[in-house]
Amino acid sequence: MTDAVRTQGLFKRFGQQTAVAGVDLVVPRGSFAGLVGPNGAGKTTTLSMTTGLLRPDGGSIHIDGFDVWQDPVAVKARIGVLPEGLRLFERLSGRELLHYNGQLRGLPKPEVERRTEELLAVMDLLGSADKLVVDYSTGMRKKIGLAAALLHNPAVLFLDEPFEGVDPVSANTLVDVLTRYTSSGSTVVFSSHVMDLVERLCDWVSVMSGGYIVAQGPLDQIRAGRTLNQAFLDLVGASNSGSGSGNGEEGLSWLGSAQA
Amino acid sequence: MAGLGTGVNLGIGGVAALFFKLKLRLIIGNLRGETARQIGFVFSVLAAVAVAVIGFITMGLVRLAPPDMAVDLVVIAFTMFWVAWAIGPLMMFGLDDTLDPSRVALLPLTTGRLAAGMFTASVTGVWPPVTLIITSGALTGIAVGATGITTGIVAVVLLFALCIVTSRLVTTALSGALRSRRGRDLAAVSVVFVVLLSQLPNLVVNQGSALDVPRLIGDMAGVLRWTPAGMAGHAIGAGGLVALAELAAVALIVAVFGILWIAALKRALVTPDTSTQAAGVRSRSLAARVLPESAFTAVVVKELKYARRDPRGRVGWITAVAVSGVLLFSISGQGGGAAAGAWLVYFPACLSALMTALQSANAFGIDGRSLWMNAVVYGTARDLRTDLAGRHLALVVLAVPLITAVAIAGALLAGDWTFAWSAALTGWGVFGVGLAVGSVTTVLVPYTTPERLNSFSGAAPGQGGIAFLSSFGSLLVTALLALPIALPPLLGAAWWSLLAVPYGLTAAWAGRRLASALGLARMPEILAAVSRPS
Repeated sequence: MTDAVRTQGLFKRFGQQTAVAGVDLVVPRGSFAGLVGPNGAGKTTTLSMTTGLLRPDGGSIHIDGFDVWQDPVAVKARIGVLPEGLRLFERLSGRELLHYNGQLRGLPKPEVERRTEELLAVMDLLGSADKLVVDYSTGMRKKIGLAAALLHNPAVLFLDEPFEGVDPVSANTLVDVLTRYTSSGSTVVFSSHVMDLVERLCDWVSVMSGGYIVAQGPLDQIRAGRTLNQAFLDLVGASNSGSGSGNGEEGLSWLGSAQA
Repeated sequence: MAGLGTGVNLGIGGVAALFFKLKLRLIIGNLRGETARQIGFVFSVLAAVAVAVIGFITMGLVRLAPPDMAVDLVVIAFTMFWVAWAIGPLMMFGLDDTLDPSRVALLPLTTGRLAAGMFTASVTGVWPPVTLIITSGALTGIAVGATGITTGIVAVVLLFALCIVTSRLVTTALSGALRSRRGRDLAAVSVVFVVLLSQLPNLVVNQGSALDVPRLIGDMAGVLRWTPAGMAGHAIGAGGLVALAELAAVALIVAVFGILWIAALKRALVTPDTSTQAAGVRSRSLAARVLPESAFTAVVVKELKYARRDPRGRVGWITAVAVSGVLLFSISGQGGGAAAGAWLVYFPACLSALMTALQSANAFGIDGRSLWMNAVVYGTARDLRTDLAGRHLALVVLAVPLITAVAIAGALLAGDWTFAWSAALTGWGVFGVGLAVGSVTTVLVPYTTPERLNSFSGAAPGQGGIAFLSSFGSLLVTALLALPIALPPLLGAAWWSLLAVPYGLTAAWAGRRLASALGLARMPEILAAVSRPS
């Protein structure tokens, strides 16, 4: 069986800085995959290149066996994307945004309208469906963005930091929708800093650091008996015994209410 | 800043010094690493120096006018400075960190000290000294004798304080509104009206050789001398007790404005952002009902909504209408003769078409960072062509009535109805050529249209050159390509305009075809170019 996502030697520089230095990302079909890594590890750059929004300097990307840059039509019909930074058409209402997205993808109008209303209901956005997206809160924007990404029922869903800045209630809604989506055999790839969430949701984890994949595989294999958080800190070399200037206690002697 | 128990309490001077350094840091930080911005900054400093020198000399040259008129001119100039200071920062709000009091709300400072700091921050920069230098030119212009000079210095300093305090008062009092989305939208659109307003004297002066300019100046100054800024100007020329009274009044107004400002500052610090509890928008678009359901229709509907809802869209169309009106008005002033009649009608119609077509020269600019939503769908050149065609139709829906109205108005002014239909046809054709060129520049030289419009640049920092290339290039190429349909009617062959619309349609079609083939391969680069932070 072909993997949902497979990249080989994916490479990208911005000026002097190498953001992604040869990434071989693998995500088996039907998995709920987490892409984790510290800030600046190259997660967003990797996801942008994988979804065809950023041109790589080298390497290949296949989604469901189709090459992203050779066969864009087949790939673009199969993927849904929620990019970083909540970039949405701000001057459309939530409902209009979903309609626009559906029609752009050539779905029949009655179908678009049916799916829109159902998604708005599940996301608990019916009350604000006619407000402009520019007036939405962060959680609402993530939810409407996810709804737009799901509207055409993609086979593979890419989400960049979907839970960042989202309140627990909205996060719960997102999780419910995503769990239901993967249980039908579709694939989710999402990047996150929140280890607890990744540990709870994912069955596949790819750990990035400094532009490389440093570990990748089923969740239990990566954890190897530790919590994911500990495994992550060990992998990216930032655990207590790691590099840096000691345990940081000398530098902050004035901090806290203990009087000298 | 002081922490728990440790740290020193800053005096007013200390706070002022701190804010001075903060403002300098912000200016320097803004320039770091961006060569284009650094060059831009150097140019604006050079421009400021030039403006200061020329302004100072001009104010000094006032001395050559008769004494009464000299004072009148200074009164008008002072009032203009004051108004500029009151309005200018409103347009800049959000561009300068030290202007928004909520950014410093967490600092443990008393309101008075905060006011001192904010005052220092707002006089730190390029334009405040320029204002000071130009207005001191009035000293050489109208001050007479030692008392005159002394009065003048006091008047100039008071005017400077008045300008700064007024601008602080206005921005602080409105900062709540300006932080809200609707307030910012309104401020963005109001830029157009300010620009138009500044054109008003031009138009008035253009209209009339019949008008008596010296009398006009006298009348204006007669009113303006009672504004606080006018009083400061008048005091320099008046001398004696009158001057003393006027200066005292100005000082009083500065003090009152200062107190009001501090009160507004206190309020602004504890008033939360006016979060926009916007009412819903639910419009049944006519285009959605008339056109068959398709990606094409989706783009048309979305573009028409954006023209209405996005301040940049509104600014674009208000400008197009205003420029067309101004053109008609100023060209009609110079009529006469049959050939001139043709000019009178064709020229405004074609120029109006050219101006409105310019909005298609960077069609993805307003979408900006949201363009990914389209990019992630489009897999073929045909998809992109459909998208461009949708944008073009939306523009046509708005532009064709405008061009037609200009043609009819032109024919009315020329007094010859027969021109109306041929001028309208020619205008539509030119518009089609403009769309053709615009779709190519859209994919070849895309740039970010900043969400905050300001009068200096229509592009994100560092992209000013690209924006210039895009709009100037497309104007030039459109004008050249439109010559075959625009020139013959101008020379008298009105029937030639029958060819204009087919020519324009063919051009637009060919332009979209070329642009979509070029654009699809460049999609990631286009996306990056229109997603620059601004």
